[in-house]
Amino acid sequence: MKKSDIIISLRDITKSFPLEIGGVQQVLFDISFDVHAGEFVAIMGPSGSGKSTCMNIVGALDTPSGGTYELYGRNITNLGPDELAVIRNEHIGFVFQQFNLLSKRTVLDNVMLPLMYRGLPMAERERRAREMLRRVGLEKFESYLPTQLSGGMKQRVAIARALAGDPKLILADEPTGALDSKMGNEILKFFKQLNKEMGITIVMITHEFDIAKYASRLIHIRDGHINYDGPMPKTDRNL
Amino acid sequence: MTFNDILKESWLSVSGNKMRSFLTVLGIVIGVMAVVIMVAVGETVEKQITDQFSALGTNTIMIRAGAAQTGGVRTGNRQTLTTDDAEFIGRLPDVMAVTPVQNSAAQIVYGNKNWSSSMVGAYPGYTTVQNVEMEKGTFFDQSAVRNASTYAVIGPTTAKELDLPADPVGQVIRVQNVPFVIIGMTKAKGDSAMGSQDDMLIVPITTLKKRVQGSRFPNSVSMIALKLYPDADNAVVTNQITALLRDRHKLKDDAADDFQIMDMKQVMETMSTVTGYMKMLLIAIAAVSLLVGSIGIMNMMLVSVAERTREIGVRKAIGARERQIIIQFLSESIFISFIGSMAGLLLGVGLSQGVGRFILGYNVPFSAWPVLLSVSVAVIVGLASGVVPALKAAKLNPIDSLRYE
Repeated sequence: MKKSDIIISLRDITKSFPLEIGGVQQVLFDISFDVHAGEFVAIMGPSGSGKSTCMNIVGALDTPSGGTYELYGRNITNLGPDELAVIRNEHIGFVFQQFNLLSKRTVLDNVMLPLMYRGLPMAERERRAREMLRRVGLEKFESYLPTQLSGGMKQRVAIARALAGDPKLILADEPTGALDSKMGNEILKFFKQLNKEMGITIVMITHEFDIAKYASRLIHIRDGHINYDGPMPKTDRNL
Repeated sequence: MTFNDILKESWLSVSGNKMRSFLTVLGIVIGVMAVVIMVAVGETVEKQITDQFSALGTNTIMIRAGAAQTGGVRTGNRQTLTTDDAEFIGRLPDVMAVTPVQNSAAQIVYGNKNWSSSMVGAYPGYTTVQNVEMEKGTFFDQSAVRNASTYAVIGPTTAKELDLPADPVGQVIRVQNVPFVIIGMTKAKGDSAMGSQDDMLIVPITTLKKRVQGSRFPNSVSMIALKLYPDADNAVVTNQITALLRDRHKLKDDAADDFQIMDMKQVMETMSTVTGYMKMLLIAIAAVSLLVGSIGIMNMMLVSVAERTREIGVRKAIGARERQIIIQFLSESIFISFIGSMAGLLLGVGLSQGVGRFILGYNVPFSAWPVLLSVSVAVIVGLASGVVPALKAAKLNPIDSLRYE
């Protein structure tokens, strides 16, 4: 793989949080890995391992305490909140466990939301949002409210929203955590399809190996350290 | 974010919680309405007073017989003024017209009709002093005063109550069995601070004193009214009159005046100061309710930010910048205060004009500044009460907000 293919590059990333009783708690220790364009990576670890903190830094929602983070070759380690917001808007699509759709906005409005913050004209927003809804098979539901949809449909709306901004990277934080296994599998197959057919890079966080298995590469984090980074193993017995 | 986006976002948020938004808007509606109505009340009172004085003229001076009230004992029943006093005052260079005035109640009879009204004894100068205009016929002249002629000028209301013909000139009426020939009818003037000017009978003062009242002192009068030339200085003339009357009444230097001079200009100035204060007080009270209303908006916005923490987190995660979050929340509070202000303005103007004009019959002035006030209130209150919640929302950390339950 060429160096220019690298989308995410973490070098010696540390993160610590101040504690209310004084002192700091270090959550991540010297995390380093690269993600290349077109990869489907699962970041796995038990709760409290630091995988969510790692995900927040990768998603430009949080800044590391030390180390450097390059996204598309640009060092974004020390950017301010507004610059990070622009980066999230243009380069990253988020899919959350709890869907995080705005409950009083229609499906179409939800999908158009990132495009509004990007400042696209209304007609263009609608065109793109409808195209994404068609891709997730919900074109007939654009005027529904999220509360009228099933969990799987909500997650598909969230995926459409993540895709609307045309990012090359999707970050999914426990995307099947709120779904039953049948719907969960559907969503994971859809991710796989996005990755294969459209070449979208996917980084997915999970604590279940059965879900992680859909990815082709596994990064396993335990107690703030990476203890495995490589191709998806057959079982999780040795992790 | 375009202006349309901002409007749509505000509308969706405000309409998403109808009851709460309605109550918050109501606070602003009541506040603005109170201010608008209080301004209207203040301006109406001010206008009523100004109108009455300008009908009378600020260059008018009234002199009443009797000393000023002292120690609760009013000694003013003695009629210390005379028609001669009036004539002397009339010779002062700044005096345009003068008339002695004697008021009396009168039971007027015409045919089988009976009407109790007031009777005014005066000089022809009365027309100038009181701005009387004639509808029909003429006013009596000085020779009628000299001869104590039984001529009468009738007010239009009195004429109507007595069922007099449309042109009452030449008709004969009786007051205490004294027949009067009507020689003129005044134009309707409406009510004023001095009572109705349309329901009265004006006769030569000599006729009233001698023939109707049968007074033993036909020259003494209760009041002298005069009008000055427009460029005259009221204070100077007041001093001249005081000196003249003290001299004529042979008052010693240490004796108090046995008359009171009421300078209408001074009275009006006092009145307008008082109404000015009253207006300020009313507006201040109304402004308090507006303040309470705007605290209501701030409260609602703070609750709204807390409730929508997760939504703010989502918006930030997908790329909303701080400025865009600030604009969203500020525009919501401005939206609410704008709707409230406009509704308050409409209700306030509607109520003050409707009740004032059509029910109470006042001529309520319509001024533009409540409109300006409401628009500025909308912006200022909206901004002031929205800025703290908006900043709070903008500073939220997206990670914590997304985790917020």
